[in-house]
Amino acid sequence: MTDTTPPDDTTRTETDRPAVLVPLAVLEGQSLPTGTPDLLANARVVLLGYHVIPEQTAAEQARAQFGETAMAKLEAFAGALANAGATVETRLVFTHDERTTIDRLIYEHECLAVLVPNGIERVESVLVALRGTVGVGRNTCLVAGLFAESDVDVTLYHALNESETIADGESFLNGVRADLVERGMDPERIEVVVEEAEAAVDAIARHGESHDAVVMGETDPSVTTFVFGMPSEQVAERFLGPVLVVQRERPEE
Amino acid sequence: MTAPNGPGGSSGSDASGVDGNPGSTAGSGPVAPDPASGVAVPDGLADAVDADTGEGELERTIGLSGGLAIGIGTMIGAGIFVFPGLAAENAGPAASLSFAIGAVVALLVALPTSELATAMPRSGGGYFFISRGLGTAPGAVVGLGLWLGLVFASAFYLVGLGSYAGQVFLEAGIALPVDPAVPLGVAFGVGLTALSLFGTENTASLQNGIVAVLLVILTLFLSYGGLDALGVFGSERLPERFFPPGGLLPVLQTAALVFTSYLGFAQVATVAGDIKDPSRNLPLAMVASVLVVGVFYVVTVFVATSAFGSARLGEFGETAMVEVAREFMGFPGALAIVVAGLLATFSSANASILSTSRAVYAVSRDDLIPAAASRINLQYGTPHVALGLAGGPIVVLAATGQVELLAEVASFLHLVMYGLICVALIRLRREQPDWYVPSFRCPAGFAVAGCGALASFALIAFMQPASIGIGIAVMIAAYGWYRHYATDVELKGRF
Repeated sequence: MTDTTPPDDTTRTETDRPAVLVPLAVLEGQSLPTGTPDLLANARVVLLGYHVIPEQTAAEQARAQFGETAMAKLEAFAGALANAGATVETRLVFTHDERTTIDRLIYEHECLAVLVPNGIERVESVLVALRGTVGVGRNTCLVAGLFAESDVDVTLYHALNESETIADGESFLNGVRADLVERGMDPERIEVVVEEAEAAVDAIARHGESHDAVVMGETDPSVTTFVFGMPSEQVAERFLGPVLVVQRERPEE
Repeated sequence: MTAPNGPGGSSGSDASGVDGNPGSTAGSGPVAPDPASGVAVPDGLADAVDADTGEGELERTIGLSGGLAIGIGTMIGAGIFVFPGLAAENAGPAASLSFAIGAVVALLVALPTSELATAMPRSGGGYFFISRGLGTAPGAVVGLGLWLGLVFASAFYLVGLGSYAGQVFLEAGIALPVDPAVPLGVAFGVGLTALSLFGTENTASLQNGIVAVLLVILTLFLSYGGLDALGVFGSERLPERFFPPGGLLPVLQTAALVFTSYLGFAQVATVAGDIKDPSRNLPLAMVASVLVVGVFYVVTVFVATSAFGSARLGEFGETAMVEVAREFMGFPGALAIVVAGLLATFSSANASILSTSRAVYAVSRDDLIPAAASRINLQYGTPHVALGLAGGPIVVLAATGQVELLAEVASFLHLVMYGLICVALIRLRREQPDWYVPSFRCPAGFAVAGCGALASFALIAFMQPASIGIGIAVMIAAYGWYRHYATDVELKGRF
């Protein structure tokens, strides 16, 4: 890991930067998508290059053969991220199961979010879909950390569930907005949208089309972690842009 | 610009004790680091091995249940579904004693193996311990011998699998002009090799499931059969004389024959590099799998010899257990055992073929055979050359159909390795090299390893002359190859 924080910036320490895990299947030709360095310019990026090997192959065997190639690619991506201003740590892992690996690294690096890497042209507006008050602090921490010092517009979105009224939803989002402002966001750049939606996933994907990136939570907080839980995976597939999946707080071991 | 690959340079703050965390400089890079620096962290075994050397970390994905499934899944196929008939024919009801002797020998070896595996949790298992502990020449003989030993074992399992597949035709009432066991075994050998080459499906959970189903079927069957045999219900069955006419000699000969049923525990060590928390899971998986299968074997033979006379069982051959089940529970019982036998021999054969390819990789990594043998196919991610070096000879040997010979040669080559593993333990404990820091210590290490070595070599003496001859020929050939190709390779203490 190399500290790439600009030397003249003394107010920011590394811990202020939200940690974002960027997993890339490096040897399957997945590269750092366009626009990712801009999106994550203020993040502490944990760049994970992984290669999934079938069980009949010893992980060691794959590393011996592909380790250097993969590391070289990963370093090039790390360089691009660092040039845009991000702090970068790289990890290269040969694994039989990428979910185990991603999960372990989220925990080890205390990552706030995982990026579903899709390309974008520019970063001008971001949709932040919020489910409820549980763990919302991690969302605000991420959004403020990434965008407080940029000129990105943020739209807070909440799909009402059955027991809520529009007023409930608005007061929830206004609370979030206040929190973001406290963390340094410009209130002018925060918009609030509350609506009744049959299927939240559809609604998020639909709204996402008019934005450049989406921030949303993990699947259902009651279900064991699947990093790309169904809803975020579905959103990412339809939206085709980058999705930041905010991770729940991990229980202490 | 970043320089993101520095081993030990990476985030020291997240040292959460999870495997694969960088922070130590030892590893398996092309240049052997100073061994002393590698294992400085007492609990950091896996860390030391997996540390990022600039070429990436290795994720350990096999847990305790996975390790147990490998051990039990590899072993249980032979002892229950192939051997009871053959063993009873040779040793009568005392065949259960033969299986018990096998279990004791296996345990005497499993404990030292566990200690070595926690000191060197690397793929390659016994070969790795011996080459690092005793030097290149014994390492080469064992490494090449292990490859061929696994080839013989896999061929043996394939013939067993073929027998059960043939039994399916029998149960279905389809008469075949020839005994289908060997052709079917060969077909399965080709099929499984192809599956390993091109299959990228995740088969670990399938293997765990197969083992669980097997254990349930066997527990039910053996409890019922055992109670029946003891006369709890049904008619009490008259036990025949426990010892066979020849006394103890046939019992020991049978122990040497059926020892193939215990070869799987060391397979756990061959995937040591992929096992999570190896300090805890490796010894547990090895010792527990030997105990579990040992108990099943002993009970199986007891039940089988209660159902039929030993001579009768012998006539039934490889699929004797099907007749035992039919005797106790009729057609449904027979069907359940045919299905269980198919699953068990299938999983044993599959696991052995994969182990064979890993054994090839282990010697190739150390330059004992050309590096091309461990090439990986980028499209499928599988070691195609190693799998070919496994599958080819396996199929050829399966075609011979010589069940007992295949089993004994496999046992021979493994027993040589087991004996040397014990010798390696004794030597390493005496020499105390600074890289040797096992986190599991075999209780009464010298005594256990000493007995293990003696027992392993002694068991070989009870094999048929033909098996001993082939085994020795393989070892001489392996030594000859080493003298011809790899005299300049120095492996002792190399990591």
